[in-house]
Amino acid sequence: MRVNFVLSEVAAGLRRNLTMTVAMILTTGISLGLMGTGLLIANMIGDMREIYYDKIQVSIYLADGITDPQRDSIAAQLDSSPEVKDYVYESKADAYQRFTQQFQEQPALIANTPEDALPESFRVELVNPQRYPVIAEQFPNGQNGVDEVRDEGDFLDRLFSLLNGARNGTIAVALVQALAALLLISNTIQLAAFNRRNETNIMRLVGASRWYTQLPFILEAALAGLIGALLAIGGLVLTKVLFVDKTLAGPIKAGIIPPVDWSAIIAISPVIAAAGVGLAAVAAYVTLRLYVRL
Amino acid sequence: MIELQHVTKIYPTSPRPALDDVSMQIDKGEFVFLIGSSGSGKSTFLRMLLKEENPTTGVIKVNDKNLGTMSKWQVPKLRRTMGCVFQDFRLLRNKTVAENVAFALEVINKPSRTIKRVVPEVLEMVGLDGKENRLPGELSGGEQQRVAIARAFVNRPLVLLADEPTGNLDPETSQDIMLLLERINRTGTTVVMATHDYHIVDSMRRRVIELNDGILSRDQSRGVYGLGR
Repeated sequence: MRVNFVLSEVAAGLRRNLTMTVAMILTTGISLGLMGTGLLIANMIGDMREIYYDKIQVSIYLADGITDPQRDSIAAQLDSSPEVKDYVYESKADAYQRFTQQFQEQPALIANTPEDALPESFRVELVNPQRYPVIAEQFPNGQNGVDEVRDEGDFLDRLFSLLNGARNGTIAVALVQALAALLLISNTIQLAAFNRRNETNIMRLVGASRWYTQLPFILEAALAGLIGALLAIGGLVLTKVLFVDKTLAGPIKAGIIPPVDWSAIIAISPVIAAAGVGLAAVAAYVTLRLYVRL
Repeated sequence: MIELQHVTKIYPTSPRPALDDVSMQIDKGEFVFLIGSSGSGKSTFLRMLLKEENPTTGVIKVNDKNLGTMSKWQVPKLRRTMGCVFQDFRLLRNKTVAENVAFALEVINKPSRTIKRVVPEVLEMVGLDGKENRLPGELSGGEQQRVAIARAFVNRPLVLLADEPTGNLDPETSQDIMLLLERINRTGTTVVMATHDYHIVDSMRRRVIELNDGILSRDQSRGVYGLGR
């Protein structure tokens, strides 16, 4: 295979259709960028599940006027319950400390919160998180020093369904965008084949192999796909540096949101690049098979 | 070399066959004129020899190979044994004379050493030495057709198919082109030329095959274009 010949054909093709090529690269880039975002969100959801579900499942908030025997009785019941895997006691001081840590970026909020405003609680880990109602029944709200039993999993479920929705939405938009990118690639290749019909007609008549005739077109699309993928990866890096690391710095530091690690971006970059190159090349090949006589 | 057995070609859009039960044989080294009015089936005939189209029924053999049973992958190989020349030259406007000829070899993966050697040879043979670096737009019609012939011949095909190669040229230039095709024929290459140019046919007195509404109406060695002309 004469590499020079093929490459010069590719370069000429891309130059000849410059506006279409730019459009092809941009749509591919946006589509892949959204796909990457979706993958990163999915990663993040996984990390968050680990952070949250491992820590707490049910909180038993204690009333302000609780007596020591009442507190001991609750602890004893938790000790003896087969449903409880583990629990920790969090005093008012502990709660305040955690609060100041979580909201250290918002000093005004901390300043306006009295040290004893936060209730003391038992943070309970269940053997089976689905069994929350049993605990709630055992410790009725407002009795025996219990203020409220709250299923933190319930809140987490809502949080995660929001995040899952964001992930699904991003991927759905990415798919629609990918469809647009594929159609654009198909059109560009048809246009390129039309522009080069003199060359390809001669190639066909002098007995150039089908591969030789098609390869420049396929490489043209693959190259555009690759550039699109690089743009997408660049977009993800910028999003991390300019948005995630800056705007979300507080919650990340407080451990509310897991950080987006470089390793995560590095891990999905090859996936994005392969998807860009592969889809573009396949789209070009199918287009040539279906619409173009070579 | 070329053999047709009861070849019929029917296009779905036309009620009349483009070729109707045509049988013939062309031997190696022959020079054959293919004549007939427009729409008589000459171009269909040439296109089927290149396997650009397949006959509806019948068998076509080129170089002892049955085109009907040939797989898609073998078609490029077939075409490497055939050269084509057209009325409208079909040169690449943005490539020089030498590049146009070299293109035919580059795309079938010939080593550049070979290309560097044979391109000047064939350009000299067609009388274009010294014009290697001209663009087609800077050449006369006759010179452009010489480039096209050089491109068709550079890979030393067994068969040269010419579809009205003098159709766009004045009589004198046409004569030069015919001399060139004769010279190529003398190297042993079979030449099949579709034409309307009765001056040429009458003066060369070669085999004439006439198609009339798709039917083979005359096959005459040392023939003329038409009786009573």
